[in-house]
Amino acid sequence: MFWHNYKYAFRTLIRNKALVFWTLVFPFILAILFNMAFARLHDYDVFEAFNVAVVDDQAYKDDKVFSEAFKTLSEGDDRLFNTQYVDKEKAEELLGNEEIEGYVYIADGEPRVKIKANGSNQTVLTTATEQISQSTKMVKDIATTEIIRQAGQEVDVEAIYQNAVKIVSEAEPNVKDESRVMNMIVIEFYTLIAMACMQGAMLSSDMMNRCLPNISNRGKRVAVAPTRKSVMVTSYLLAGYTMLFLSVILLIVFMRFVLGVEFGANLGLIIALAATGSLTATMMGMFLSIILKTNDAAKNVIILIVTMVGCLFAGMFGGMKNFFDEALPFVNKISPVGQITDGFYALFYYEDMARFMVNVASLLAIAAVFFVLSIRSLRRTRYDSI
Amino acid sequence: MTVSKAFWKIALKNIGTIITYTVILIMFGTMNISSGSTTTSYEAKKPSIVIFNHDEKVGVTKNFIEYLEKNAKIKDGYEDDDRLKDALFYDDVMLVIEIPENFHQDIALGKNPEIKTRSSAGYAAELAKVVVNRYLTVAQAYAAINLSEEDLASKIDGALETSTKVDVNSEVDTSKYSKPTRYFSFANYTILACVITIICLIMSSFNRLEIRKRNLVSRIELKKMNLILLRNCCIYALAAWVFYVLLGFIVLGFDTIWNLHGLLYAANALVFTACATTIAYLISRIVFNSGAINGIMNVVALGSSFLCGAFVPAEYLPESVLAIAHIMPSYYYIDANNKIMEMQNTSFETVWPILLNMIIVFCFCVLFVIVANIISKKKQKIA
Repeated sequence: MFWHNYKYAFRTLIRNKALVFWTLVFPFILAILFNMAFARLHDYDVFEAFNVAVVDDQAYKDDKVFSEAFKTLSEGDDRLFNTQYVDKEKAEELLGNEEIEGYVYIADGEPRVKIKANGSNQTVLTTATEQISQSTKMVKDIATTEIIRQAGQEVDVEAIYQNAVKIVSEAEPNVKDESRVMNMIVIEFYTLIAMACMQGAMLSSDMMNRCLPNISNRGKRVAVAPTRKSVMVTSYLLAGYTMLFLSVILLIVFMRFVLGVEFGANLGLIIALAATGSLTATMMGMFLSIILKTNDAAKNVIILIVTMVGCLFAGMFGGMKNFFDEALPFVNKISPVGQITDGFYALFYYEDMARFMVNVASLLAIAAVFFVLSIRSLRRTRYDSI
Repeated sequence: MTVSKAFWKIALKNIGTIITYTVILIMFGTMNISSGSTTTSYEAKKPSIVIFNHDEKVGVTKNFIEYLEKNAKIKDGYEDDDRLKDALFYDDVMLVIEIPENFHQDIALGKNPEIKTRSSAGYAAELAKVVVNRYLTVAQAYAAINLSEEDLASKIDGALETSTKVDVNSEVDTSKYSKPTRYFSFANYTILACVITIICLIMSSFNRLEIRKRNLVSRIELKKMNLILLRNCCIYALAAWVFYVLLGFIVLGFDTIWNLHGLLYAANALVFTACATTIAYLISRIVFNSGAINGIMNVVALGSSFLCGAFVPAEYLPESVLAIAHIMPSYYYIDANNKIMEMQNTSFETVWPILLNMIIVFCFCVLFVIVANIISKKKQKIA
């Protein structure tokens, strides 16, 4: 009887277009939209040479040190700028049309920068211009210090200047970069998987409604059937869980192999997390279905609200997870969406498994709480005669 | 009267939907995550840096930390490595710098002590590296000429004081319009969601077979009933527009947008609300199942918001996505908002591109009404 019920419950779920849309189709549509919208967001954050102009007048040509240094920054594969050499009117026109981020010109013997808006590129242009002026100043300063030191001796000014230029040009900081470059956008996709898991609570909620006499006519029919309630409930819930787990796995496969989202290398643990997340969602759906004495649509709206609020705290809509973790640290710890997202994040970013294990344990604990509360409400239910 | 009463009764039943989307608009539409800013004076970007100093805070080390404090935002409380890793991942911290033991002595002796860094993946991290490298390069150069620690610090300060004069070619501080632009661009989603959901739900209720039959046998003519429905749809859409514009003015502050910019934002939103109404009208001619309306609304509203720059600024979107976005009215609505933000004066050259976008959105309205009427006629023939 268990497998008979399971089979028909599963078929009923697959034929429910609204449930299939919200649990299967909608996350796929969102994944595609995320991929299209966020495709360039991370690349945009990586430095690329940008367009600037230089006013190539006599003053600029006369300042050989500056013009040579700026030319160096505009050449080669690792250049900072794509530089156009133009007159002042043209530079103004280019800036007005936003074809360049800014332009450099020499006035009163000093380099100056003109920009249209503040921004990262404008800061780079200004800093680079400052650094050239700074290097020139340092060469003069180091040479002057040496000349003063050698006062009273025969001074080879040219040699001292050459030495100063060498010192400044060879000065290089000894910085060891120990960074691990990671794409923050993956969090959006992880929250999407968590959302798909939790929206799957609608499946178990729908299944439970079929077993509750005070909610549906089918529930009344089921209540008077000779089959044991525990068999009915478990077979229905298992059907909901199976459909949810399969749709989450399909979503992960789609994200990994079609959209190219990175999840880390441990496939077994990814599946384990999907299975645990689906279990928690199934238990949550069961619990909400039992405690909320209202219709299907209202229960689904509540599940949707709980899920979307969880998604907000977990980092969907702008990657604010860390902000919420700092401001309200307990929220993501008790939110299944937060724990699922954090589990995928831990698998991707952390080398040790401790954090991932905490996430899985938390999800199991949340599922257990929902299960116990549901069973307490469900068992020995009697209905008064009316 | 009966038709109007029924219309508003159904609208009020769905007040929860309107409240939900309004809360979303207030939360995300007013978040300060604009893509760029324009002010009338230059301001260097300051990256967030965490410093772990293993040296005594004296001499060059003290000077280095003071320099970083001046040129970056120094963040504290990241002793827990997991917390630091998370902050780096989420770009809350752009660079972590470890100053080694005996740093000040080694620099003064002309050695080149190793500085360990960890950075986030963003552009701001590159800026942070430029800030740090600038100091270390200067220190390295002056250390080569054997100065005392005191002289070394003073020479470094002197070199780092070099600044470039920056002129900003902007007559108006347009950065103050980045928030209103974000609000009205995000309103693309809210207006579409609220207008489509409510109008389609109401229309689908009137389109239910038993209700249609009942209305057909009633005294009121079908044409008249449709006109009443259309009038109420327009009143509802207008009310939604008034509500969201007023809300915008309250949330953003009357001082900020009680001017020509504000008027243009409101006018642009009005044209777009009209367009959203025609989209709702078109959908209600195609879809009669109330269960499907939520799904279709989400696909239309989320799809156009993601692809046209309501959620992610258009400048971050790939060219291919923007090319697709050109076929949607949302693109022209959001583009007009961006152009209002950049508007420096009220000349024909600056206002015309905004008006042109509004005209294109209006053309979409006409197109949707024509398509809806063609579909409606075809469906009548089948019936």
